[in-house]
Amino acid sequence: MKKYWFIIKTEIMSNLQYRFDVIFGFVSYFILLFILFNLWRYLYSDTSGLINGYSMAQMMWYVVMTEILWMTLGGRKFNTKICNDVKTGNITYNINKPYSYIGYSLSMHLGDILVKGVLYVLIGMLIGFIFLGHFPSLSIIEIIVVIIASILATIISIFIIMALGLISFFIEDATPFYWVYSKLILILGTIFPIEYFPTVLQKVLNFSPIYVVSYGPAKLFVDFSWDKAITIIGAQLIYLVITYGICKLIYQKGVKRISVNGG
Amino acid sequence: MLTAVRNQCKVIFLSIKYALMRELLNKTTFISNIIFMILNNSSMIVQWIVLFSIKDNFGGYTLKHVILLIGISSSLYGFAHFFFEKSFKLSETINSGKLDAYIVQPKNILLSTITSDIQVSALGDLSFGLIAYFIYGFTIRGFILYSLFTITGGIILVCISVILHSLSFWFSNADAGADTFNGMMINVSTYPDSIFKGIVKWLLFTIIPVGIANYIPVKVMVSFNPYLLLINVGVCLLFILLAFTIFYRGLKRYSSTNLMVARV
Amino acid sequence: MAVIEVKGLSKTFKVKLKDKGFKGSLKAMVKPKYKTVNAVRDISFTVDKGEIIAFIGPNGAGKSTTIKMMTSILFPDQGSIKILDFDPKKDRKKLSYEIGTVFGQKEQLWTHLTPYDNFKFFGAIYDIPEKAVEKKIDELKMLFELDEFINTPVRNLSLGQRIRCEIVASLIHNPKILFLDEPTIGLDPVVKENIRSLIKRMNKEYKTTIFLTSHDVGDIEKLCKRVIIINNGQIVLDDSMDNLKYHYLNKKIVEAKMKERVNLDDEDGITILKDKGYNLKIEVDTTKRSVADAIKLLNPDNIIDINISNIPLEDIISSIYQNKDQL
Repeated sequence: MKKYWFIIKTEIMSNLQYRFDVIFGFVSYFILLFILFNLWRYLYSDTSGLINGYSMAQMMWYVVMTEILWMTLGGRKFNTKICNDVKTGNITYNINKPYSYIGYSLSMHLGDILVKGVLYVLIGMLIGFIFLGHFPSLSIIEIIVVIIASILATIISIFIIMALGLISFFIEDATPFYWVYSKLILILGTIFPIEYFPTVLQKVLNFSPIYVVSYGPAKLFVDFSWDKAITIIGAQLIYLVITYGICKLIYQKGVKRISVNGG
Repeated sequence: MLTAVRNQCKVIFLSIKYALMRELLNKTTFISNIIFMILNNSSMIVQWIVLFSIKDNFGGYTLKHVILLIGISSSLYGFAHFFFEKSFKLSETINSGKLDAYIVQPKNILLSTITSDIQVSALGDLSFGLIAYFIYGFTIRGFILYSLFTITGGIILVCISVILHSLSFWFSNADAGADTFNGMMINVSTYPDSIFKGIVKWLLFTIIPVGIANYIPVKVMVSFNPYLLLINVGVCLLFILLAFTIFYRGLKRYSSTNLMVARV
Repeated sequence: MAVIEVKGLSKTFKVKLKDKGFKGSLKAMVKPKYKTVNAVRDISFTVDKGEIIAFIGPNGAGKSTTIKMMTSILFPDQGSIKILDFDPKKDRKKLSYEIGTVFGQKEQLWTHLTPYDNFKFFGAIYDIPEKAVEKKIDELKMLFELDEFINTPVRNLSLGQRIRCEIVASLIHNPKILFLDEPTIGLDPVVKENIRSLIKRMNKEYKTTIFLTSHDVGDIEKLCKRVIIINNGQIVLDDSMDNLKYHYLNKKIVEAKMKERVNLDDEDGITILKDKGYNLKIEVDTTKRSVADAIKLLNPDNIIDINISNIPLEDIISSIYQNKDQL
């Protein structure tokens, strides 16, 4: 475990050199939230009550939260890295190292995004506060639970994106898989809570990754209950095991394929 | 003059043809890129179906109108990125000294540069735009307007990108700003203007010309208005002028190679 | 007839100074510091039609900057350039029909296409009618011996084959002047030799004026009749190859292996470079003393083996770089 922590630490240090692109990342984040705020304000303009069980403020905080998770994740960069590792054969250099490629990539990426994540949380809260004038009411313990759920969500996302990237072992360009995944998350998991979809779809979504990687933490953030917390974190743990297992399986199959075909 | 234009067009055509030939070397990737982009854009329609299940009218926009808006937005994006992909990466060309190659050729530097590569997935955007237009409803007259707006809007998009990226002749970090601005235009352009109010709405028809490139076409196609059409075409011409002026002004400061980034 | 006239040319760059690290970046954003670099300082020269001229100097001497100003890429701060009566600053398009450029490190060919298709593309860039391009390609194909690989995609060619194609691509439009920037960089000796003889043949065939920069002394020695040496943005030498050699080659290096130990001291016209008893290396200034004299001093009966050679051009050039202040 210690060596992975060391990888995380080194990555953080090298990323402290923040530059313009990060600042512009915040600008993009602000613009996105701004558009969605406008959308919700318009949607709620002729009702003062709830839509699908959410108030306007809850909808906005929901979006703030899912967008923090999404922007922090840096999925595209990570996916490109994994695909390149496979394509260039870099991945094979890791075979005889005393750590697993999966653990190594996970720690690398966590280190890469940790500081960014904290900054996005601060900025997200600030923007939300400016637009709405208050925070969701949560106790300290509840906040900790939300944070745990968010971290679990991020790790599961990383595993899913890793698995999608590792498909490069078998086909030449695996990036379209990531596009589709990211679009699914953005449309079905970022803008609307699951309750917004038709009942049939809701049942499917409750078992999909969307439930654990974006809906879960955001739901807890805007509408906390211990019942839900237990269900969500339980589901996350199951997903954690499954996604890790899938990564490992694809990785092993892929490496075997390379050693047979000689890359 | 006329032969010069013809010769320039021939070079652009060849350059796009060759780039396309390169991409076609791997047909599976080529086709999957296009198909996935169509699927990718379809998700926007899903989003609006959900929204229209809550409310059936967004300030005059029905679902059909929103589909038309999304169609136009992806068509003009596809047009811009297929034919002029390099205008979205112009900073890199400038900073790495790759402009040299175009300066020594007897052709228009800006045009040769921005047409020197294509983006395959942009064909997916173009196709999706067409599909969306057919869902909205096909008429010959409407289709002519649709094609016109795809071109004018695409050119506006390209020109804005050229202007912003040309700033890297002056500032070293212009590319991040340009990418952010371009991204914002894309983001905004898939939402109807009716959800914006006040100063933002005003901005969208001026400094951030999403209004002119994306919203006006929808208004004209829904109910024809010659003045709005003229504004669209006029602004497009204005942006062409601006883009060339700023690019060539900057070119005088061009320093080739990496002499600029000496560090101590 | 002069085809290139450069007068009092100067160019300065403003270079942004940046301290290391995050703090440095911030500082540079708030209050940027600049340093002025005089890349080229008041240089003048002319080149006649059909000449092959070597334009050499150490890294950062101002070679590329000068070439780039001559090819319209950079704008000069001061001075004037006339190339075939065109001002590169004002007549970029007209000039570009008349000149060809090969920048060794920057490839201009599409790598997935065959050389043939590439040449056709360049034909279109220079508005040459289809028939004329095909004829020209045939002609150049013979001259540069491209037959074997003219239909192989460029990415499958060796570096030497690529450079040949790059040169041919820059000749499609019959330029009157060819700018070659480091054409043989990274090539092995045999290929270098081949490229040189092709360039020479081409110069003879078409009377193309060639303006060449290179770090490779072989290129210069084998190809050029005239050398311009530039250092720190200034011309330190502009002379014919023969003169350069004459000035510096009146010194000979004599290396001798002796039967017996000789004791020799520096005298007028003789400098001892190495004395290991039985092995001697001396430099003879032939303006002061003949080589025969020097050998007599060594006592010819005692010589087992002897080698008399010129000072390598490479050494001559680097000594010119170093002595620029005295020149």
